[in-house]
Amino acid sequence: MKIQHNNPDSCTACTACIAQCPVTAVTRKFRGPKMVGPALERMRLSQEDTEPSLEYCSNCKNCDIACPSGVPISTLNMLARAKSFKNRSHSLRDDMLAHGEKMAKLAEKIPGGAFLANLGMNLGGSLGLMNLAGIAGERPLPSYAAESFLRQFKKFKQQSCPDKVVFYPGCFINYNDPQVGMDFVAVMQANGYEVIVEEDFVCCGSPMVATGYLDEAGEQARTNTELLKKWRQQGYPVITCCTSCGLMLKQEYQELYDIEGMAENARNLYDGCEFLLLLADKGKLNTHFAALEEKVLYHAPCHLRAQGFGLPALDLLELIPGLRVENAGAGCCGIAGNYGFKADKYDISMAIGEKLFQRIKDSGVDTVVSDCGTCRLQIAHGAKVETVHPLTLLRRAYER
Amino acid sequence: MRQSDVIVIGGGFAGLTAAAVAAKRGKTVTVLSKGVGTLTISGGTIDLLGCGSDGRPFASPAAGLALVDPDHPYSKIGKEAVQAAVDFFLDLCETAGFPYRGNLQEMKWIPTAAGTIKPTCLVPKTMDTAPLAETDMVYAVGFHCLKDYYPHIVAKNLQKLPGYDKTYHIAMVDPRFTAGRDVSALDIARWLDTESGRQDCIEQLRNTVKPGAVLLLPPVLGTRPDYQVLQELEQAVRCRIIETVALPPAMTGFRLRNLLLDHLKSAGVRIVEQAFVAKAIVENGRCLAVVTQNSDRERSYSAQAFILANGGFYGGGLLAEPGKAVEPIFHLPVKAPASQTQWSNPRLFSREQQPFAKIGIAVDSTLRPLAENGSLALENVYIAGRSLAGYDFCFEKSGNGVALASGYQAAMMV
Amino acid sequence: MEKASVVVIGGGATGVGILRDLAMRGVDVLLLEQRDLVNGSSSRYHGLLHSGGRYAVKDAAAGKECIEENTILRKIGKHCVEATEGFFIRLPEDDKAFEEKWVEGCRKVGIPAIPISPEEAWRLEPNLTRRIQSVYRVPDAAIDGFRMAWQNVASARRYGGRVRTYSEVVAIEQSNQQITGVKIKSFLTGAVETIACDFIVNAAGSWAGKIAGLAGIQVHVQPDRGTLLAFNHRLSSRVINRLRPASDGDIFVPHGSITILGTTSSPAESPEDNLPSTQEVLAMMKIGEATFENLGQYRLLRAFTGTRPLYSADPSAKGRGASRNFVILDHAKDNLTGFASIVGGKFTTYRLMAEKMSDLVCRYLKITTPCRTAEEPLVEDASPQLLAKARQYFPAYGTELAASRLGAERLEKVVNSMEQDPEKRQLVCECENVTLAEIETAAKDSTSYCLSDVRRKTRMGMGTCQGAFCIFRSVGAVDSQNLAWGQSTNDLLKEFLQGRWNGIRPILWGSVLREMELTRGIYEGMLNINGVIDNETK
Repeated sequence: MKIQHNNPDSCTACTACIAQCPVTAVTRKFRGPKMVGPALERMRLSQEDTEPSLEYCSNCKNCDIACPSGVPISTLNMLARAKSFKNRSHSLRDDMLAHGEKMAKLAEKIPGGAFLANLGMNLGGSLGLMNLAGIAGERPLPSYAAESFLRQFKKFKQQSCPDKVVFYPGCFINYNDPQVGMDFVAVMQANGYEVIVEEDFVCCGSPMVATGYLDEAGEQARTNTELLKKWRQQGYPVITCCTSCGLMLKQEYQELYDIEGMAENARNLYDGCEFLLLLADKGKLNTHFAALEEKVLYHAPCHLRAQGFGLPALDLLELIPGLRVENAGAGCCGIAGNYGFKADKYDISMAIGEKLFQRIKDSGVDTVVSDCGTCRLQIAHGAKVETVHPLTLLRRAYER
Repeated sequence: MRQSDVIVIGGGFAGLTAAAVAAKRGKTVTVLSKGVGTLTISGGTIDLLGCGSDGRPFASPAAGLALVDPDHPYSKIGKEAVQAAVDFFLDLCETAGFPYRGNLQEMKWIPTAAGTIKPTCLVPKTMDTAPLAETDMVYAVGFHCLKDYYPHIVAKNLQKLPGYDKTYHIAMVDPRFTAGRDVSALDIARWLDTESGRQDCIEQLRNTVKPGAVLLLPPVLGTRPDYQVLQELEQAVRCRIIETVALPPAMTGFRLRNLLLDHLKSAGVRIVEQAFVAKAIVENGRCLAVVTQNSDRERSYSAQAFILANGGFYGGGLLAEPGKAVEPIFHLPVKAPASQTQWSNPRLFSREQQPFAKIGIAVDSTLRPLAENGSLALENVYIAGRSLAGYDFCFEKSGNGVALASGYQAAMMV
Repeated sequence: MEKASVVVIGGGATGVGILRDLAMRGVDVLLLEQRDLVNGSSSRYHGLLHSGGRYAVKDAAAGKECIEENTILRKIGKHCVEATEGFFIRLPEDDKAFEEKWVEGCRKVGIPAIPISPEEAWRLEPNLTRRIQSVYRVPDAAIDGFRMAWQNVASARRYGGRVRTYSEVVAIEQSNQQITGVKIKSFLTGAVETIACDFIVNAAGSWAGKIAGLAGIQVHVQPDRGTLLAFNHRLSSRVINRLRPASDGDIFVPHGSITILGTTSSPAESPEDNLPSTQEVLAMMKIGEATFENLGQYRLLRAFTGTRPLYSADPSAKGRGASRNFVILDHAKDNLTGFASIVGGKFTTYRLMAEKMSDLVCRYLKITTPCRTAEEPLVEDASPQLLAKARQYFPAYGTELAASRLGAERLEKVVNSMEQDPEKRQLVCECENVTLAEIETAAKDSTSYCLSDVRRKTRMGMGTCQGAFCIFRSVGAVDSQNLAWGQSTNDLLKEFLQGRWNGIRPILWGSVLREMELTRGIYEGMLNINGVIDNETK
């Protein structure tokens, strides 16, 4: 069932989305979600033109969350953005930011490639080459891990268990932050689950959609939908630990494409913390946690908030004795996937995050917990603190 | 299945109030919300009750409470509970450092962007009109390029009204926005949030207005629930400042919503955003759980009690089809005129209430829904806010008032 | 005393057409309209510029007129015509035999009707029903009644033609069976005055019988109600007709940002019998669902009703049965010289009707200048330079709309105003993309007396929110320019919102009801413009 009907009809022009849009809050260059989304959608159906400020939408989904009328505003924006590329070509910058997976695979093929690529990116940053390419030189690009998650996972000896789950790592965990994937495996093992990793999964397509490569992302969607269907039919739940991948696989596929099996797959997809919390609710979670005497701040990623099941990490972390978790509640961090990596969006991205950075500084914590990889990068960059995925803390509590 | 003592469906003013009250009573509370409610649209004034069904204004909200129809939500809630709700709200705002003014014994008449005055009850300090009594000199202040606000309309119309017959001047402030989108109150408020914006504004006002005057401003005095912008401007310009009621986006409601969210966070209330509640699991007249249905799957949330505060037609708590209104979650009976033509008056504005505005769910004195035959429909479900039958908040000026009182009362009953 | 050689009564399509035609032939002509221009039937229809296909079977002559006028109007009126083309679709329940007759009819009349496969039709119009049996492409188009009227007036004014709106004709003055003038009453002030003239053209449409009656002459015009629906966005890019004998609720016309579905037919009690009913709306929705199965999911904006001025020498003919051809009645036959009525007809042939009527007037005035309305464009195209300049100041999706609404001359004024003052670039109406500069220009026109008049000139308030936001800004704009026509700002707000309400009330469900909760929340709840005033305590 297609839940969202991508047309502007429910919009009442009420301005609620404008009031909650983090981009609108820091720059007057963006005309705001209502104007660029539902208001112009009516025009787009009758006229050829382009709205220049469309490029400022970060696809963070706060407009969708704010809308009292259920209008998929950000999706209308992304569809319009893709349409705007029908008659013009993408920049090299967009090409790079949309195709993180391709670039990572290239780096992986060369021996020592990850090291060289990281070196190149660091050098590029300091030499200003990144800025020339349109990528923000002020911030470190996510560095490639020496060994991808997939490679680490293959070497890892799991205890075999009758209960199994399939893990969708996503590009960021696979290439940049494999530790989160390994933490997930450890946590699942501690709960009597064996983790299956499907090697043929491809990038969910979220960065492509955000950069206007709608058709290409559609191909990714087709590939993943087939694979997700295969595992669903075998009765294994599929789990993501990246909130943007999760949102894309479950919701945005259905909003943007019409592929057989998507809706059924969505029913079988879980966020890692959500899955564990469901175990807790059934009394099946392993709660042999050691105490973690620590105070941490939790940042809720926008793409998690948009999924409509709350903030399971908060509830989960509360089960760890000694751990004091506080919800930052300071809104969008500003990075919005690849948005904050664009040179001309860097300042906007940092200005959006300022409230969160200040909140972190005021709280005096050393560690910020967040489910989203790019949020963690932004927080580390903007607030200079350690950042971890909630599952990393969970693993520590199991292993201590 | 997540477990709570109380589940509140709806994150608007009624829902957030209910959550705050229930949490204060020691309950574990989960709010299932869809959208941000209408505070940022309608503003942060609490209109308790301005006039009766004949359009004649009441001397005070308290006086009106004694006269409302038996079917009116206030009649179900009762005067004492309304008073308690007001006390709770004033206390909450005071504690949060953003005190509100007003009480049930006094009708406040506050100026609007249309140059009218409207009856209300509880207002933030920025909308308190007491300073008007102290001066005859009023400046209607506007901001260049703020297309939702016209100070000359405010001045021209207000001066004809009782209590507002003063000497009016116009003062314009230029926020110096050079390019970019059209300017809204939100942009001006964010400009005034900054130190440089405030200084610039102060400088411009000092050059135009005489000390000792009252300045009527659009609601732009910052985005935060505090009075920093107000105080700084008043001190520097040596004038008193009053914010008027203006078109959305409404900064006064934006501030109040942020105050409530901060409060709920510290009170341990869980808020689940984008939770599309689709149905309820009911057994023997008791609701066991409500079920959300998002693009992935259904999720159950169980609780001892449920407060339905999802905002009537606008919020999606009620759905209108040709000639028919339905409540989609619990399928409660909805009181509506039988034929579509009876839903509304031929005149949009008149001395009569609009029938469609009064469509809603009939409840008993505990705010629990009634079945067609008048018996209790569900034991542990309570209705708050616009989904309640029997009041036209626009006409009688009870916007946010019924939400506050019913949100409070529902949470006291659970 | 004001004088004119010719007075045209009625500011509908025919009236403005005659005004332009006569002015272009050098006649001193004044048009009188009781309310605002195109406030009657000429704006209360579906805005279809017929290819003639609709009449191909029943009335070949009408079909021929249509295709000829269609071709002319596309050329001279390209800024008010959207050359969308149209489909005639046959569904399983529609008579196959009629299709054959129709194809033959089109061929005879000269209407190009090109058959395409249903698959091709679905590719071009994905929302169309999958039940299509056969499809033909025809050169239908959409024509904006408001723009067409304003552009005719703009053209007429260049030749000295004059217009007075809100001037209701209350008497026709004659002496020795010869017209001498008209007496008019201002709708706004009630003031009465006489205008001397040599000839009167009665082009009052549904009111033509009433006007003729003022001169003691009987003209049988039976107004016939037609209700239409406007949807919030374009459901198709083309006009969609059902391939069957003309019937209720079966033409969809895409119009700029919206779609119009029409229309019903039932006898009207009077020309003013123009409030739509829920019953009519539901009946039409049901018929429309055969063409777009998802029709119920699309948002309605409003319903509106017009009255067709059906003329019959035989007063007992009714509805669609009555002839849609136009008739010119020279009342010299009724022993009154200098007076003629034009009745019946249809929007598509308004120019031809105007030409024929003007020919009669010119014969009377012994003027031999030929008609040129079929050659000269209504308004000049904006130059590429002007358009390029406009693009700097208009928001996206705004330039083309404004250029076609305004024509070159007024566009230049608007662009200059936007160039000089950035504030004028703001969008007053965010749904229909109307800038402050355009609102001010429209409000300054001598025919504007309230914001509904400005709306008809600009489309302000005709989009999704139906005025909820833009009406406040419009009031602010006209008030700060001292253009408020002596009315209070509250009355301006109320007049406009009541006008919108008339079309909203019959469709008060779904998103429309939600929008109304918002609109009332703003104007009644927050701004209290309904005026609960504290008279008692202060």
